[in-house]
Amino acid sequence: MLLEVRDLHVEFRTRDGVAKAVNGVDYGVDEGETLAVLGESGSGKSVTAQAIMGILDMPPGRITGGEILFKGQDLLRLKEEERRKFRGAEMAMIFQDALSSLNPVLSVGDQLGEMFVVHRGMSRKDARARAVELMDRVRIPAAKERVRDYPHQFSGGMRQRIMIAMALALEPALIIADEPTTALDVTVQAQVMALLAELRRELNMGLILITHDLGVVADVADRIAVMYAGRIVESAPVHDIYKAPAHPYTRGLLDSIPRLDQKGQELYAIKGLPPNLMNIPPGCAFNPRCPMARDVCRTDAPPLYDVIPSDGTRVSACHFWTECLHG
Amino acid sequence: MVEPILEVSGLVKHFPLTQGILFKKQVGAVKAVDGVDLTLSKGETLGIVGESGCGKSTVAKMLVNLEQPTAGSIKYRGEDITKLSGKALKSVRRNIQMVFQDPYTSLNPRMTVGDIIGEPYDIHPEVAPKGDRRRKVQELLDVVGLNPEYINRYPHQFSGGQRQRIGIARGLALRPEIIVADEPVSALDVSVQAQVINLLDRLQGEFGLSYVFIAHDLSIVRHISDRVGVMYLGRIVETGRDAEIYDHPTHPYTQALLSAVPVPDPEAREHRERIILFGDVPSPTNIPSGCRFRTRCWKAQERCALEVPLLAVPAEFRLTTGPAAHDSACHFAEEKQVVPPEEPTDDHVNGVE
Repeated sequence: MLLEVRDLHVEFRTRDGVAKAVNGVDYGVDEGETLAVLGESGSGKSVTAQAIMGILDMPPGRITGGEILFKGQDLLRLKEEERRKFRGAEMAMIFQDALSSLNPVLSVGDQLGEMFVVHRGMSRKDARARAVELMDRVRIPAAKERVRDYPHQFSGGMRQRIMIAMALALEPALIIADEPTTALDVTVQAQVMALLAELRRELNMGLILITHDLGVVADVADRIAVMYAGRIVESAPVHDIYKAPAHPYTRGLLDSIPRLDQKGQELYAIKGLPPNLMNIPPGCAFNPRCPMARDVCRTDAPPLYDVIPSDGTRVSACHFWTECLHG
Repeated sequence: MVEPILEVSGLVKHFPLTQGILFKKQVGAVKAVDGVDLTLSKGETLGIVGESGCGKSTVAKMLVNLEQPTAGSIKYRGEDITKLSGKALKSVRRNIQMVFQDPYTSLNPRMTVGDIIGEPYDIHPEVAPKGDRRRKVQELLDVVGLNPEYINRYPHQFSGGQRQRIGIARGLALRPEIIVADEPVSALDVSVQAQVINLLDRLQGEFGLSYVFIAHDLSIVRHISDRVGVMYLGRIVETGRDAEIYDHPTHPYTQALLSAVPVPDPEAREHRERIILFGDVPSPTNIPSGCRFRTRCWKAQERCALEVPLLAVPAEFRLTTGPAAHDSACHFAEEKQVVPPEEPTDDHVNGVE
């Protein structure tokens, strides 16, 4: 396993109380594999990613338990200076909003080149040449002329390409992309996703794709981990989950999206709202919204059950996963 | 065909670009909307899709008279609302209301929910006499699925989905005939989107509303619309009934747009054809000559740069009665199936293989 997150817990201390954002997340990703982490806002998907990268705001954030193993080494035990060597070189992140993630007062060439100057000790001139190469690689037209341009001079899709170029600069083993195409239009989204998938294949990187879009997931992912209230509720190979979800939340999500290829009647709607992280319901966090909930769901938090028939790759955090799986 | 209640023709909105401080001279224009025709019948939902910058929100604003068109007419029951002012305009506006995209910024944080939903009654006091307003607002809260006792709460005490319900209640307050909804669910979480879409669906039946539903999400537009118009750079490039557009698109832009939408079905990814367009949408200050899509089109030929294609049934389909015979502004219109055909059984619903 390239990266393995084990029983990670993160909380935020705020004036109003303690928000439990991540409550025991386990997931892993291999080299060359694409793991999609699916969840709504507040499900803890981005916080987990920030903890992996080591860019969580602490305080107010606090990692209260768990391990993050990268190539077998627990990142949480490293000193800050040691971790910095991992960021960029071994793992890199692509953010949702490229305009606010790029520095508006530096040219894109300087920002791309900085990676090589800092991590590889290159001269500024060599770094600039590498920046042009990178821009070519993510197919920015006229890279040589545009290397001196500033972020605001690029369109949304082009800026996202620059973010991708920056993440790929040092050829890391792992890329975390947090909603990389959410801010883009569909035709541009398709371009960017195709580019990301191609480069991932070429460099045999592991990719963690964080998204709320079930369509994007179906297009590119090998495996899916579905998060709800800071926990993984179901994790499985992508084909299995779409064919027969083993958790009522996953099923609800799949049934509640209108589809391009179907003119539906009334949409299935998951009732209620996602829980307040300061006050997560006891037992299974999904129980107040779950159509299958029974007494045990209100008292006992479900462990991750192996979904059978199993090769150990499919789990569901539902006491009644068999019922859900077989309708 | 039923008498349309809203008829838009030749709608144009150009925003001037000026230079100089004291002596402003116009150096160009952002051609946000550049000749749009639409009709809306009673009880119908017209979906408008397009990418950002295509002018769909500007069209919405002109329909509710928040923006004055540069040219063209918007006829509500035969009367051109762009020429109205004062009392006459006010009475028309009562019948065309809007629901905005962002439920976080479109509700005044210092007003209670009761005041927000009741505010339209201050402007149109004839709809509800003063003593009756509180009861009316509570009724509206109930209609959109919120607890009527929440009338004294403030917007920040509600979630995104609940706020959008408040926005919808405000839109309904004056019992309009037409609701223009500009991206009403795009700021909401997936599980909450379905609740709001179902609500809009139910209200349409209950109050006999007509919707103009503007969105960039093609799946949602298909779900809710009877007819769909596809916009590109200020113009409608293809329009027709939903099945005509989604299952038998003839304009290359529509085909590319549809093929780019991710379908939540991993089985489809191998045998689905993707049309990936090159480049970005051109700037609306400098629209390409002829067909405005030609710079990104894989079919473009010389003729496309010279001749503006008209929005009409393409010649090759004019004599047929099939679903491909709908308006499409392309010289080389051709039917192409890009969305995989609907499967007869939906196996994830019952979870058996």
